[in-house]
Order: sequence, then structure tokens, then C-alpha cells
Amino acid sequence: MARSSAKTVYEIFQSMEYGPASASSVATAQAWLDHHSRSLGLFIDGKFVRPADRRSCSLTASKGDVVCRTVSAEDEDISQCASSADGGYKSWSSLTCSQRSKVLLRLVGVLGLHGQCVSELCELCEASCSLSALVRLLQYYSSWAQLRDSLVSNWAPVGVVVVVTSDDCSLYSLMLKVLPALAMGNSVIVVPGRSAAPPALLLAQLFTTAGLPAGALNVLTGSAVPLGAKVAQGPNVGHVTYSGNKQDGAMLCKATAGMGVPVSVSPCVGATCPFIIFESADINSAVDEAIQTAFKKKKELHWLLCVQESVADSIVARLKLRMAGMKCVSLRSDADRSLVDAAVQEAQQQGATLVQSCAASPPGALYPPTVLCGAAPSSPFVVSPSPGPLLPLMTFRSNSEAVAVGNHSPHGYAASVWTEDLTLALETAKSLSVGSVWVNSSSVLDPCLPVSGHKDSGSCTDGGQEGLYQFLRPSFSSSPCLRSSPVSMDYSKFGTEASQAVIPDSSEPSSSPPSYLQFVGGKACKSVSGCSVAVQAPGGGGVLALCPEGGRKDVRNAVEAAIKVQPGWMKKSPSARAQSLHALAKGLEAKRREMAAAVVTQTGVSLAEAEEEVEQSVARLGVWAAYCDKVQGGSLPMPQSGAALSIPEALGVIGMVLPDRNPLLSMVTLIGAAVATGNAVVVVPSKKRPLPALAFVQVLQSSDLPAGLVNIVTGSRDQLTVALANHSVIKAIWYWGSAEGCQYLQHTCTSPLKTLRLFCQKDEGGKERGTDWTRPDPALLEDLWRNAVQWKSVWIPTA
Amino acid sequence: MADRNPGTDLDLEWISKVRVNTQSVLKRAQHIQGLKVSKNQWQAAWLLKAVTCIDLTTLAGDDTPSNVHRLCVKAIQPLRYDLLKKMDMHDKGITTAAVCVYPSRVADAVRSLRAANSSLPVASVATGFPAGQTPLETRLEEVLLAVRDGATEIDIVINRTLALTGQWEALFRELRQLREACGEAHMKTILATGELGTFTNVYKASMVAMMAGSDFIKTSTGKESVNATYPVAVVMVRAIRDYYLITGHKVGFKPAGGIRTSQESLVWLTLIKEELGNDWLCPHLFRLGASSLLADIERQIYHHVTGQYAAFHELPMA
Repeated sequence: MARSSAKTVYEIFQSMEYGPASASSVATAQAWLDHHSRSLGLFIDGKFVRPADRRSCSLTASKGDVVCRTVSAEDEDISQCASSADGGYKSWSSLTCSQRSKVLLRLVGVLGLHGQCVSELCELCEASCSLSALVRLLQYYSSWAQLRDSLVSNWAPVGVVVVVTSDDCSLYSLMLKVLPALAMGNSVIVVPGRSAAPPALLLAQLFTTAGLPAGALNVLTGSAVPLGAKVAQGPNVGHVTYSGNKQDGAMLCKATAGMGVPVSVSPCVGATCPFIIFESADINSAVDEAIQTAFKKKKELHWLLCVQESVADSIVARLKLRMAGMKCVSLRSDADRSLVDAAVQEAQQQGATLVQSCAASPPGALYPPTVLCGAAPSSPFVVSPSPGPLLPLMTFRSNSEAVAVGNHSPHGYAASVWTEDLTLALETAKSLSVGSVWVNSSSVLDPCLPVSGHKDSGSCTDGGQEGLYQFLRPSFSSSPCLRSSPVSMDYSKFGTEASQAVIPDSSEPSSSPPSYLQFVGGKACKSVSGCSVAVQAPGGGGVLALCPEGGRKDVRNAVEAAIKVQPGWMKKSPSARAQSLHALAKGLEAKRREMAAAVVTQTGVSLAEAEEEVEQSVARLGVWAAYCDKVQGGSLPMPQSGAALSIPEALGVIGMVLPDRNPLLSMVTLIGAAVATGNAVVVVPSKKRPLPALAFVQVLQSSDLPAGLVNIVTGSRDQLTVALANHSVIKAIWYWGSAEGCQYLQHTCTSPLKTLRLFCQKDEGGKERGTDWTRPDPALLEDLWRNAVQWKSVWIPTA
Repeated sequence: MADRNPGTDLDLEWISKVRVNTQSVLKRAQHIQGLKVSKNQWQAAWLLKAVTCIDLTTLAGDDTPSNVHRLCVKAIQPLRYDLLKKMDMHDKGITTAAVCVYPSRVADAVRSLRAANSSLPVASVATGFPAGQTPLETRLEEVLLAVRDGATEIDIVINRTLALTGQWEALFRELRQLREACGEAHMKTILATGELGTFTNVYKASMVAMMAGSDFIKTSTGKESVNATYPVAVVMVRAIRDYYLITGHKVGFKPAGGIRTSQESLVWLTLIKEELGNDWLCPHLFRLGASSLLADIERQIYHHVTGQYAAFHELPMA
């Protein structure tokens, strides 16, 4: 600095260099921190609490100076916070919609006064979030708060919501969880990651100024994931949601397994996203945007530059020209530097050529922006990208290959697509399996865009109306989850109990129970193992029937068949899907006698009741047929000019372990929801009452659903649950079963992430609980189809 | 001076492939406007650079030898000597890049500059400026006369009729002839971008002008309703970059019309630095067409040197 300020006018006149960046003032934020003696407490019950004798940890900025210290909350604080949140929920949820909306709007006014402090604090803590983005979030969600009862009727808040974020998560992603939760009437306990903690505390304080009831928003600091898991144990916690990197998200899932609380994860940090440039693109603009997004100082996404072969040379030439003279980007640490060096060296050894802003990279935690040309999907620096300003570049030949390259990744967070050809843009947007598609733009975030990471990039939707439902439950149901405490279980032993196969006694053919077949890939068949298990009569009076004992290989075959037909099924027109469902309903009606008989045999209800259930099942399929063309996205009200679309897409293959209650009706309801929205299913019938499902096989056989779309595999429930959990193609599991099963699934389904709907039904002795399937409640059906789709948002900016 | 752009054959295939995404360009322009130049000596140095790139211009119906003479003297000594001296820049040859006048005043300007022993180039607008709606013969004749009178740079306007109707070949042939008429004088081609409709047209016109051998491409005459805007400049300098990538020839860029404040001149320099790099930050490849800009820059320099804000009368008029 001393040297550079000594530069004469003439020197600068000749070099035409940029001067030192003028450091923006952070005085207001410093004053706020000083007011708190540089040591921030916890925010509980509307005020700062500073318990004595707590460990504290210091937040250091990248330059190495300590910004402030935060407290590590302990059990005592957690219980105090839990009761504060309970009280907060009572007072907050009892307000009217417009009162809640006003509080959110008033915070906009408060930010008008103290916004400077917030943005300075964000800058100090490197938890990037612009003030305008915060205001936009508040305005967007205040209108949802106002209209909750009118536009999302039949839904109620879940109670206390725990929002956990990882250390590298931005304040924006944090608020994208907190604000919808508050807007829907929940109280919130925030467990922020390190960098977002100070601004989150400041915002909580400002919220109180704006009139938020004490306890409606609490902030606990500490080590986010273990602390979040402890907070999740609170008895009134209705939902745990997470934003940040994938590893911590998986850890949180494991740590909360068995608590009976639904956990949703948005791994918005660290995903690899394709940046696709077609030959029909405005190449200069595309190159500029690529440089700007890929070489940001704090980047949350790894980009992979995919360019069409015909324009690859001209893109590289422009990159060279544009990147010449770019300044080095500072890394987080010297350790990152050695990672970057290793990655670049490895890339060069594999024949990659570098485009670098300056050849001799300075020592230390600085690195010049670098494009690695000649990358391939299998290059190590593509598969596991290193930190730092590295951008791999690979080429593709055709439009369809671009999609193939973009999709061939475990990540499904977002993609940027560059072309001036509208048809190509929309076709590509449709075929990419990612949550956000940015056409001729990148990294556009807005709360009106629903974002659900596909594949390994998420198990919930954030933003938009669609993102509200993770903080709501159908108002007819009482708390959907039975709270429990995790038991210590050996996850590797689950579902490995000895086979209960029976050998049918064929000496007396007249008295031997009937044998059923399962349904895999459109064929009624025996299990791969060839063994059978017995179905017990209600009340335990002997063997009712024999059914195949399916296992891992049966599930594998079923998934194989399902994934073959599912894309075609989703591409079918909604009316064609509706027709198939109507035909299925007709088929069921034609077999009403057999089906009713199966229900009677299995459950012991009267024939009239059984006939009623068949009747309702036929009607339910009719309802799902009608839904086929009503599950739709639409255009979204973005503040910028352009076209924003939300598109519902099928999850893919859903695994189901069916409930015991109303075995026929519940099965038809669940299969209908999944199939109507374009999914394929692998169904494990109720352990106790499988006969109606097995009888349904003959209805399926005579239906015109594509072979493999619906598969029914019978056998040991736990063993099949394990098989479903360990198949990566299955994107979602709907499970009705034991508490251990729930815990097992939550613990296991983290890599890749699966969307889980877990219901613990009391097995032995206890009263059956759970959904009343006979009630045609609109919120029940909406809840089901919303869980069977994932959303994609497409943003096409225009001038 | 580096080699002049000799031009190339007209490559219509290349021109037809051009794609410009309007919103990206607007966003880019906005981004550049948001970039800050540092204060103090950086600002002073950049402003001095801007001064050396100015084509000091008077294009009015009431121009006479006396105001043209004043303009020429100001061009030779654009900033007060004592101010330059304080920055140790008095002996670094700080003049504007050229003076720019109507063809009839070229002789006056040349006389004034010669009298002051200055070799500053005189630029003349020509070819039916500003509308360009005169026959090709008279336009060629106008160029020849201006060159005969001593103009070493000719700012020609393109025939917008040909550009708007997509007659790129005809436009190319016209420009080729005009370039020939210029001879040794440098040709700056005014695209009048405010009247070209779309960014894609701006890009295509830029390309055709460069293929026809322009030494500079220039945004506007200053007489259209929309003059030099940053988004249009982004499109034009990208065309310059593309032309350089393919042919290896560097073509200059000249925004003109409506550039009045020193702040704007800094944005222009930033835009060139960002898009084209430092090579273009010299009078051979970058010009600012302006008349009142210089006065504002001089005030800023005055403030940098003295710490005071100057009244207009404290600084010599042009």
C-alpha cells in the first residue's frame, strides 16, 4: 500500500492500472459489535442472553483478524430456547395472517434505518447477502403471510421449525428458510453456521424491533450440526430443515435419525453445475458471464464449462483475451492453495492446457483465474473439484450430447444454458435434470423461483409457493409424526433376520393355502430366491396364503424395469396418463368381487365394508386420473423482465412400503398419486395384510400401464426396506412401518439423498394410527402429489 | 504508429452468424458502470489519459475562423500549465488527440495549428454529415476536398438506408470507395447506432465497416436522438475484439455525442480496459468525441491539484 500510493501520476498514466480498491466503511457494524463487547450471546425469547461459563468461538475474517466471538450453546440453553420457541409459536400462530404480514413488512422499514449495519456486518463476516435481496425476500414472504389462509387453505403450520446451516452457507440461503417458516405461522430456532451467525443475531434483534413476538425467532450459536440435532429433540419441533454443504447435511440426517421429525436438506453449496454454450449463443456475453461467475471470490457452486465443438476455439481465444490481466483471487487458506496446485498439476499431467491470467502464480493464498481446457467427464478435477478459481472446459458435439454431459453427474442443482435459439433453450431446459435452469444468465436467485435440487442436490423445495409446504401440514391431520427417541441400533444388522421361508406342504393339495405371485416388470412371477413366506390370518388363526419371498435382487429387477419405462411415461401427454388410470379403475371395477373377497379374507371386515373399500378405490383412481393434467406449474412473477417458468417433474422411481390400514384403498391412493404425476413405483405391500395388493396384480396385468411402471414385491418388510434404501435410482421412499425402519431409512438414505416420507405405525398391540384413507380430503391428496413431484424453474431474461 | 487496418473481403457468412443477446449486453454495461476508479492520483492520471484521447470538436452552423482558432489553441494546451506542472506532467506532451471540424473549416484549423507549430491532426466530418443522405459522388468529392485542405482524419457517416435494409454488400462497396478517397488520411466510420434499430445490426455494421478498412468505428454523429450509450459500445468493442481475433488487426473505437462529465470519461476508459485491454487505451485506438467534456475534466484536475472547486471562469475557455 505504501509503495502503491507513492506511484506518480505519470507512472499510472503510462500503465493505466486500477488503483487500490477503496475499502468500504464498516464503521456501523463495528459499532454494533463494540456495543456487544465483540462477544455475541444467544438470542432467546426476544433478547440477547449471555449465559456464564460457556465456551465461545471466534469468527475470523479471511484476512485473519477476529471479527467477534460467539457463544457455544449448551443443553441448558437449548431447553430454555425450546420453551421460548413453544411460547413464541403460541403467540405468533394466534395472530391473524395480516398481523404476521405486517411484522414482516415492518422489518423492511427497520432495514431502511439499520440496513447499513446489516450489510456491513454481512461483509465483515463474509456471509454475502445484499440488502436489496433481503428486502425482496421480506416483501415476497409478507404477501404469502397475508394470503396463507386464502391461497393455501386447509393447511396449518407445523409448530417449531429448526433451521440449520453449515459454516459456508450464505445469509440469503438461511433467510430463504427462515422467512417462509415464519410467514406460515411457525416459530423458528435458527442454528446458523459460523459466518452467518452474527448477521442472523442482528436480524433477530431487528425482527423484535419490528414487532415479532418474543420467542418466535431464536438464534442458537455453536457447532451447527451437533447443536441442530440436539435442538431437533425438542418435543414441539415439527420440522428440521438444512441449507449448506452436502457433508454436513448428511451428518445432520444421521444425527436426527429416529427422532420422528421430518428433515429436509438443501445442499446449495458445493454442487457442480454445467455451463453450456451452444454455437447459437451470443458467445461474447456467454464468455463474460462464465468468467464473472466462475472466478468470484466466494463461490458456492463449481461450474463446468461445456462448449459446442464448433465454437470451442473461438471461445478459448476470447477467454485468453478476456482473462489477460485479471487479478488473482484470494483463497480461504494456504491449505486450499496446495489443493489447487495439486489439482492443476494433475490436470496438466493428463494433458489439460491452461488459460491463466498470469503465468507465474504468486505464492500464498492467492491464485490466478484458470481455465483447464481439455477436461473430460472422468477427469479427477471434474469429478471432485478443488476450491479456488478453476474452471474445467470440455467440448460436446451435438445438442443431445450437451444434455447427456450436463446430466451425467450426481448433482442436480442448476445449469446455465446459452443459446439465442428459443426452441433449443426450452428443449434443453426440459431435458436437464436440475432444479434451476438459467438461460443466457447464471446464478439468478429470487424467492419466487421454486428450487428443488434434483438427484443428490436436495430433498425439498425452497422458494415459490411450492417451497411453503415444507413448513405446513394438512390441517385435518394431527401431528403427522410420532415423536420418538433414537434407539441405539446396528444399522448393518437391520433387515438381515433369518428367512422365514416355508415349504408348502403339498401332501394335501385340497387344504393347502393358495400361492400368490409378485409383479415385476409387467410379469407375475416368483421371487428370485424361489422361496415363499406365509401370510397369517387376522387374529393369528393359521396360514391364509403363501407369497413369494422377494429380496434385494427382486427389488433390483423391479427398479431396472421401472427406470426403463418411467421417462416415456412422464413424456406421455397428461390426458394419455389419465386414460390409462381410468382404464385401471375400470379393470378394478370389473374385478370388484375378487378384490372384495381378498379384503374380507385379509382383514376380516364384513363384505359390505370390503365392497365399500373397493368402491372407494375405484373412485380414488378416477380422482388421480383427473389430477393428471391439473398438476401444473406456470409463469412466475420475477421482478426483472423476462419469462420465468416453474415445471413439475416426476421424481423418477418411488419406493413404497405400504400401510396396514385399508390395505387396498391406501395402496391405490399412493400408487395413483405417484403414477398420475409421472413416476414409476416399486411397492412393498403391507407386512400384515398383503393379500389385496397381491390380488391387485391381476388388475395391473390386464391394464394398459407400461410393463414395469408399477411393481409389487413381497417378502420380509425390513429386508425389502434395506433393498430400497440401497438402490441409488430410487429417489423417494414412502414408508409405513416400524420406528426402527424409520430410523434406519433416515440414517441410510443420505448418499444419494432420498426424499423420505416416514410414518411409524405401531405394530404390535398398540392402536393403529395414521392417515384416514377413506376421507377424500383435498389437502391429503395435495400433500401426496406434492410429494411425488420435484420442481424445476426456468429463467429466460429479456431486455 | 502501428499498421493500418487494410480491411478484408466481405464475409457475409460470418456476418449472418452474429448473435447478440440484448439483456446480457445491458447487464454487462451496467456492471461496467458500477466499477469504480480509485481516487487521487489514479483519477488524475486516468483523466489525463482521457484528455489525450479527446477529439476536441466543434460542429456548429456558426463556426467561424475565430472560434476554430480558439479551439485549436485549447487543443494544444488543454490544461493550465501550472496544474500540469504540479503533477509533473507539463513536459509529457499532454494535448488532445485531434481537433474535429466541418470540411469548410479544415483550412482554418490547419492554418491555426501550423501557426502554433503544432502537428496535431485535424479531423473533418464528411459525406453529407450528419444524415449521409447525399449521392455517393458528392460524398466522395467531399472527402477528397477535405483531404486536399489538410485533414488527416476523416469521420464519415455510413448510409443508414443500406444498413437498415440489410444491403451489406452495397454498404461494403461504398465504404471501400470512401476509404480509397481518404488515401493516407485515416477513416473513422460513424455508424449512427441510434438509428440502426438492434444490437445485432450494430454488430453487423461494425463488422462491415472494419472489413471495408475503417481505422476507427464511431458510435454516433452527436446529432441523433440517441448518442453514445454504454450498451452499444459493448457491442461495438466486442466486434472490434472479434475482428482482431480473426484478422490480427486492431481497429480503434470512438464514442461521441453526449459525453460531458469527467465521470463519464472514466467509465468509457474502464469499458475499453475491461473489454479490449490496455492496448486500446491510447489515442491511436481510442478517441472521445466531445466539446464540453474538457472543461469538466480541467475542473476535476484543478480540484485534485488544489483541493478547491474551480469556477468556470478560472480556467481558460476553449
